[in-house]
Amino acid sequence: FLLFQPAVSVGNVGQLAIDLIISTLNMCKIGYFYTDCLVPMVGNNPYATAEENSTELSINAEVYSLPSKKLVALQLRSIFIKYKSKPFCEKLLSWVKSSNCAKVIVLSSSHSYHRNDLQLRSTPFRYLLTPFLQKTVQNKIKSLNWEEMEKSPCIPEIEDSEFCIRIPGGGITKILYDEGCSKEIPMVVLLKFVSEGDNIPDALGLVEYLNEWLQIIKPCCDDPTAPALQWKMPSSWRLLFGSGLPPALF
Amino acid sequence: REVRLFRRQTKTSLEVSLLEKYPCSKFIIAIGNNAVAFLSSFVMNSGVWEEVGCAKLWNEWCRTTDTVHLNPADAFCVFYHLKSNPSVLLCQCSCYVAEDQQYQWLEKVFGFCPRKNMQVTVLTCRHVTDYKTSESTSSLRSPFLKALKTENFKEPPCCSLLEQPNIVHDLPAAVLSYCQVWKIPAILYLCYTDVMKLDLITVGAFKPVLSSRSLKGLVK
Repeated sequence: FLLFQPAVSVGNVGQLAIDLIISTLNMCKIGYFYTDCLVPMVGNNPYATAEENSTELSINAEVYSLPSKKLVALQLRSIFIKYKSKPFCEKLLSWVKSSNCAKVIVLSSSHSYHRNDLQLRSTPFRYLLTPFLQKTVQNKIKSLNWEEMEKSPCIPEIEDSEFCIRIPGGGITKILYDEGCSKEIPMVVLLKFVSEGDNIPDALGLVEYLNEWLQIIKPCCDDPTAPALQWKMPSSWRLLFGSGLPPALF
Repeated sequence: REVRLFRRQTKTSLEVSLLEKYPCSKFIIAIGNNAVAFLSSFVMNSGVWEEVGCAKLWNEWCRTTDTVHLNPADAFCVFYHLKSNPSVLLCQCSCYVAEDQQYQWLEKVFGFCPRKNMQVTVLTCRHVTDYKTSESTSSLRSPFLKALKTENFKEPPCCSLLEQPNIVHDLPAAVLSYCQVWKIPAILYLCYTDVMKLDLITVGAFKPVLSSRSLKGLVK
């Protein structure tokens, strides 16, 4: 099966994208990733569609699945407790390794202000592959004409610094990628250069980028005026920018 | 920043988790000064409660730099059981448990072997501006009560459930997460108020909880 997971990163784009995937595909909750590495948080079902299913409690790290398409998604809803991000990655990847999933897809984002001139002029989407992906996957991705994440100077201030992959604002993305390479995990990282703000369009962009490759949802409508792909926004996305305004303000 | 459980009477620390030492069928936890005041006035006054333990911890929110000699007036976390029915436990937690201490607190209190035949009730407050609603918060009549319950909690709550997209953090969230994952029936009663200091009206807002099965029988 395929495992999707977000990295808690700039604009929370990875997490918003996972929300879209879970909500659109109506994935069922199959379990929890109970860990002491993430700040605790609870709330009622964020994907509720009706009164009946709105009272299920959700915690900060949960696993959802769609058996018919062999998809599993891990959603992370809070930030790391200090010094716990590396232990979390280690625990996560050893679980991934033992669960024998075919591929892990990490959805993430990086600060758009860190782009160099070339990056500013190209598409904002990037990918990264670990060496242990099958050739077929590597070839498919190459055929899509996607841009691979470029290396940048490890220490920008020093002129002859070595080049390496850097993902500023990506949270644990780099750690996951490095551990993925060293632990022989077939992993694909998909990210978008974003700025903080209303990141819903960025999340939609990221899932459409993912969909170009995996086709997890297909265009359905015959109506030419409707958007080609229907992504369902979860009910918990209401009031992202706070409560209603007091009328006395006007 | 370590969380330590000990008995004040004997000055000895607890070797095992609290619930391992004191098996419990009902656990009522008050977090924050108003919730603590509610339990003190309504529940602790109606029965004889004996102190069984105390949690000592330090973080930036504590008013004292002396981590050894915390006096009783300082914010504290104390555990009691009912003398007439020692399987009923109560926790009065008026100190802030920081994010790197919440899981430690859970370990020291609940331990690693979750008991399923117990029921947990948590009471706490949050500021009303944290509450997200499509109306403006200035038109809300605070204080008001909202509930969040785990899957295994089957009774109807005494107030409406917390609507999406509202969420809860800190120690109450840590307790509820633990109970949800380990299938322990638990309910959190959350009072949204505009007064975070000790306030009689806020304390009074918890009164509907007195009629719940968790607290019935404990109050005269």
